[in-house]
Amino acid sequence: MRQSHPTRSRVQQAIAKVAVGLCAAAWPGAAIAAAPLPGTAAFIEQHCAACHDETEKKGELDLTALKFEPTNADNFATWVKVFDRASSGEMPPKKKPRPASADLAAFTHAVAAPLLAHEQERAAREGRATRRRLNREEYENALRDLLHAPWLEIKDRLPEDAVAHNYNKIGDALEMTHVQVARYLDAADYALRQVIAHQAERPATTVTRYYARDQKTFQSNIAKYRNEQERMVIPVLDVKAQYEIYEKKAPITVGAADPATREREAFVEIASQYESYEMWFDAFTVPRAGRYKLRFNTFTAWVGPEKPEQAAPGKGHRWWIPDLRDVSIGRRTEPVTIYAETIPHNLRVIGKFDAQIEPTVHELDVWLVAGETIRLDLTRLFRSRQGAGRFRNPLATEEGAPGVGFRWLEVEGPLLDAWPTAGHRLLFGDLPLKQNDHPALDDFPLDVVSTDPRRDAARLLRHFLAQAYRRPTTEADVQRFLPVVENVLRAGDPFVEAMISGFTSVLCSPDFVGLEEKPGALDDHALAARLSFFLQNTAPDAELRALAAAGKLRQPAVLRAQTDRLLDSPKSAQFVNAFLDYWLDLRTMSGAAPDPILYGDYYLDDLLNDSAPEETRAFFTELVRRDLPTRNIVDSDFAMLNERLAKHYGLPLFEGVAMRRVPLPAASVRGGLLTQASILKVTANGTSTSPVKRGAWILDRILGRPPSPPPPNTPVVEPDTRGAKTIREQLDQHRDVASCAFCHRAIDPPGFALESFDVMGGWRDRYRATAENAAAAHEGIAYGGQKLLFRFAQPVDATGEMADGRKFSDVREFKRFLLEDEAQLARNLTQQLAVYATGAPVGFADRAAIEGILARTRAGGYGVRSLVRELVQSELFLKK
Amino acid sequence: MKTPPAPASAASFAPGCFVATPPAVSRRHFLRGAGVALSLPLLSSMFSPFARAAGGPPIGPGSKPRRFLGICNNLGLLPQHFFPTETGRGYALSPYLQHLAAHREDFTVFSGVSHPDVDGGHPADVCFLSAAPHPASSGFRNTISVDQVMAEHVGHLTRFPSLTLGVNAKLGRHSLSITRSGAQIPCENSATEVFRRMFVQGSPAEIAAQKRRLDRGQSVLDAVAGQARDLQRSVTARDRDRLDQYFTSVRDLEQRMQMSRAWEDTPRPVVSAREPVDPASPKEYMAKVKLMYDMARLAFETDSTRSVSLLLDSMSSPAIEFGEHKFSDPYHLTSHHGKNESKLKLLQAADHMHLTLFNELLTGLKSTHEDGDSLLDRTMIVYGSNMNSANTHATTNLPIIFAGGGFRHGQHLAFDRDRNYPLPNLFVSALQRQGIATEKFATATGTMRGLDMV
Repeated sequence: MRQSHPTRSRVQQAIAKVAVGLCAAAWPGAAIAAAPLPGTAAFIEQHCAACHDETEKKGELDLTALKFEPTNADNFATWVKVFDRASSGEMPPKKKPRPASADLAAFTHAVAAPLLAHEQERAAREGRATRRRLNREEYENALRDLLHAPWLEIKDRLPEDAVAHNYNKIGDALEMTHVQVARYLDAADYALRQVIAHQAERPATTVTRYYARDQKTFQSNIAKYRNEQERMVIPVLDVKAQYEIYEKKAPITVGAADPATREREAFVEIASQYESYEMWFDAFTVPRAGRYKLRFNTFTAWVGPEKPEQAAPGKGHRWWIPDLRDVSIGRRTEPVTIYAETIPHNLRVIGKFDAQIEPTVHELDVWLVAGETIRLDLTRLFRSRQGAGRFRNPLATEEGAPGVGFRWLEVEGPLLDAWPTAGHRLLFGDLPLKQNDHPALDDFPLDVVSTDPRRDAARLLRHFLAQAYRRPTTEADVQRFLPVVENVLRAGDPFVEAMISGFTSVLCSPDFVGLEEKPGALDDHALAARLSFFLQNTAPDAELRALAAAGKLRQPAVLRAQTDRLLDSPKSAQFVNAFLDYWLDLRTMSGAAPDPILYGDYYLDDLLNDSAPEETRAFFTELVRRDLPTRNIVDSDFAMLNERLAKHYGLPLFEGVAMRRVPLPAASVRGGLLTQASILKVTANGTSTSPVKRGAWILDRILGRPPSPPPPNTPVVEPDTRGAKTIREQLDQHRDVASCAFCHRAIDPPGFALESFDVMGGWRDRYRATAENAAAAHEGIAYGGQKLLFRFAQPVDATGEMADGRKFSDVREFKRFLLEDEAQLARNLTQQLAVYATGAPVGFADRAAIEGILARTRAGGYGVRSLVRELVQSELFLKK
Repeated sequence: MKTPPAPASAASFAPGCFVATPPAVSRRHFLRGAGVALSLPLLSSMFSPFARAAGGPPIGPGSKPRRFLGICNNLGLLPQHFFPTETGRGYALSPYLQHLAAHREDFTVFSGVSHPDVDGGHPADVCFLSAAPHPASSGFRNTISVDQVMAEHVGHLTRFPSLTLGVNAKLGRHSLSITRSGAQIPCENSATEVFRRMFVQGSPAEIAAQKRRLDRGQSVLDAVAGQARDLQRSVTARDRDRLDQYFTSVRDLEQRMQMSRAWEDTPRPVVSAREPVDPASPKEYMAKVKLMYDMARLAFETDSTRSVSLLLDSMSSPAIEFGEHKFSDPYHLTSHHGKNESKLKLLQAADHMHLTLFNELLTGLKSTHEDGDSLLDRTMIVYGSNMNSANTHATTNLPIIFAGGGFRHGQHLAFDRDRNYPLPNLFVSALQRQGIATEKFATATGTMRGLDMV
């Protein structure tokens, strides 16, 4: 059910009055089902029927025949729309006579009261929210926390969850099927087997240094790219090129015999990863999952250009080719991204840092999974790729090109707090381990020894249940799962298998998988869970559980302190990520890559695409952390940027890969969410931008006024990159058709304002079109060091007209119009948060609570943290 | 972390090796290691809700077994080369359909058909066999797919009630098979794995171990179901529905485990085909398509299942390579051709390959016989896409071929391109051919007009 949203604050005042003046018992919703709505007939006849009757039926609506059937979601939504249109003054339309205000008030009350009564009655009986299961991200996080194994990869073992009302947390949409149950069994079993000790002795924590010079992937590069110097790694001592190594006049390393010299040896890279050109520390593979410290000794370098006298016969002087004899000290820092990789090409970013001019050690403290290797991406350096003609390094100048030197990687780990690990001890306490000799246990090197299996099983289950369940546990719980263990033991299978079966059943049981909430006010435990899944996206931690057990969490001051504690903890990143992944569709960032012909320049690196969602997360985090006004969503005088984004946005340059707060020039088109690269990318399709798609998205996500879906058989515009017509010209048709124009006068303006931004959020004055031939292409180097393949076509027109007729000349003016209704921006954000936090859509009867939150935060400009705090204290949150 | 055993090397199966060589990879591979989970991912993907089939087999003694195969390429085919210009029986084959010339009388090509109200472009692939409206809307809930309806009725007759196969299918994101409650059944992407499940026989000890694991799984599910049942007593009506769904899901799975346990006593069929080796890279998309066609054919040939869905997840595929063709960009990106000539050329080459492989599938089924009929005459194949064109993302005017299964083919059934004819009607025809007495499926208005059974 999608309810239409109010369009003016007058609506809110109207509904607040109704809510206050209403006696719910006077409107027994069910009793008047499928009858006309009392007290509306005369008004409809006088003011609506001219258009909305049986014969005219404008907008497919015949109000004279519209019954009131509150249990029918579509019917309910229609009446809400009638209320919104009438109370906002949008209907009757301007050219018709206005109803007397008393008549209008009586009419809107007659519509609102039974709608409210129906929802309130249902909320009292059932609660707003439907009992729901955890989504796969929550399940993964909960298992990681419970089993003390932050490295567990569980999510992808479970089916993707359905999305409703924009989120993956909605009870009515989170289905349960036999497939889901089977997947839970698999995921739980897998997780348990991952954390059980596989050896009795504590694994040694070692510190090992892997020298770049010893890595086969680096070494083989020298032989492989003999004639393509742009791809070569250069052996250096300090920053002096050791050309004699190419000439095989010197060994590739002095080796262990000369540790002092070895320490100064390095490989300098001038190109980054691309296709067959890949380097990683191949001598190290993660032996077991756990925490590790990785230390990289790096520096930056400068590689001189080919000299005139080195020119190959007939080729002329090619200064863009590096001189492998000419290495000197670096001229700037260089960003480096470190990935953990599992074959084939499954990459996970584990850290980023800036290589410094002087050799410097950068330490990453990370969780790694067995089998992973460590891969590097020197993000600013170019990626060569064979194409039409030899590639060319776009960073090369007549003075040379930048490079990054690697001396070594040092690995310390696995770092263990104890052995067996906390996860293992949660499952098996201190029971001794022995070598497994059971024939049925073919993949377990160890068995757990129990001299009294039945008693141990009960004891271990009791302990596990108390940790796993988010409510107090009883002996009945133990007795429910104990037979599972006993059945396995009776069949003659080993103790460890029996216990895994028992633990698995707990992790698949409704009380672990589901969120238990009773109608009315939530009890402390349910509140702890709701708060934790809201602000951490995982199960409550020890402190929340203790407060719930002590019955203190419902105290407003305690709840407020806990809200702040969770928001301030590092785990709140899980909230920010999960919320933005759905509110702003950041989860789709990796989809629809830019078209390589039109946007080859976006293929120079991965850092832009990586940084774009980080910007949005950092920006939202900043709003929460500093409680900044909601208006920042539309426009802000700062941005959270790193070097790559500043370059993308054409802002003053600085060096560094880390996100930082940067003040924006007064005239900047950036600031706020709408003009961030991530948003502009997820609302485009890689090849072209559609004002309709972007406009509809902004209405839905930012303005809280989702448009109706297009009617069936709406003609589509076929993207054409040959550049003959602009999208605007192609769209003009529908604006001329009256039935289209009604919705499109609201949908199109945000999209038109954003036409100044391409599929990756870069500024454009002209559209790009495919170049007919090389001569027509715009000058420059892109994709894989190849020439650009596009030409500039028609100019962009980013002007437009708001639904009320006011004109804007560009996105900056458009933003100013949006900022006139800050309350609506805050209303939308609060509603989005409420849906996410409570797992239920915000209904008609919930509007009063939303308005209450707005009233309490208005003075501070609807600070984002204040909205979260007030939401938590509101009855939307405190009741089921 | 366990590593799967290395795939059987191609060399050991080179021509000249003696045929009796047992597969290099034992069935032990999938028996070992799992506790209660007992390799359930694949199990669950293969098991469909047969439990709802009421009152035994719908097919009377002596009636012919009927099969169904639904294939969707979620980036479609270039419509300008697919649709014939002439209509009716004497139509001239389009450039793409030329590949199927040998089977002209064994298929019908449609134009002007689509699933009513199925919009939204890419997300519509999950509705290809279900026809559930508005897949991209916020309250979308999918409904049962036609292959699963078939499985409900005839699934209990075979080892696998249905197979849900994929090529490069993204787990959890895309699948054609949808359960009655609207959940996707994840695709199996490995032909090797499908082959092993169907044909590699375990030792008696391994079978006994597998049964013990199934028993263990049932015991786990008993405890879980018990809690769901107890909780139902104390909750509100809406929550009770959710718990009931939980309870039913657990019971469904238990039944599947029992069924699986029973089938453990039936030896697996012996086939002369060699165990396939999955291509190492998703770039070898076309090779994977071919293997999956082989698996579908083998499954029907050995009566291992009668209902198969196969999603060719071009969306999730990288830059593909086949023959002398090499995409420079991922399939999806290439499909947004924007009328660019070089991209159109690549897409055309891929489409020709698609039709070549599809032709081989039809030829293979036609040359296999069962009780005097060709297997093709007993196998209904729906082949097509959820989009008319990946460039426009339009979900109307779908390219659809319907082949085999005992219908009077050899025609181009053309409908109104502005007001499309409902494609779900084809599924009603297919269900009736399967012996299921129904007039309804999703938004169908009846059977397919102009398509008659033989």
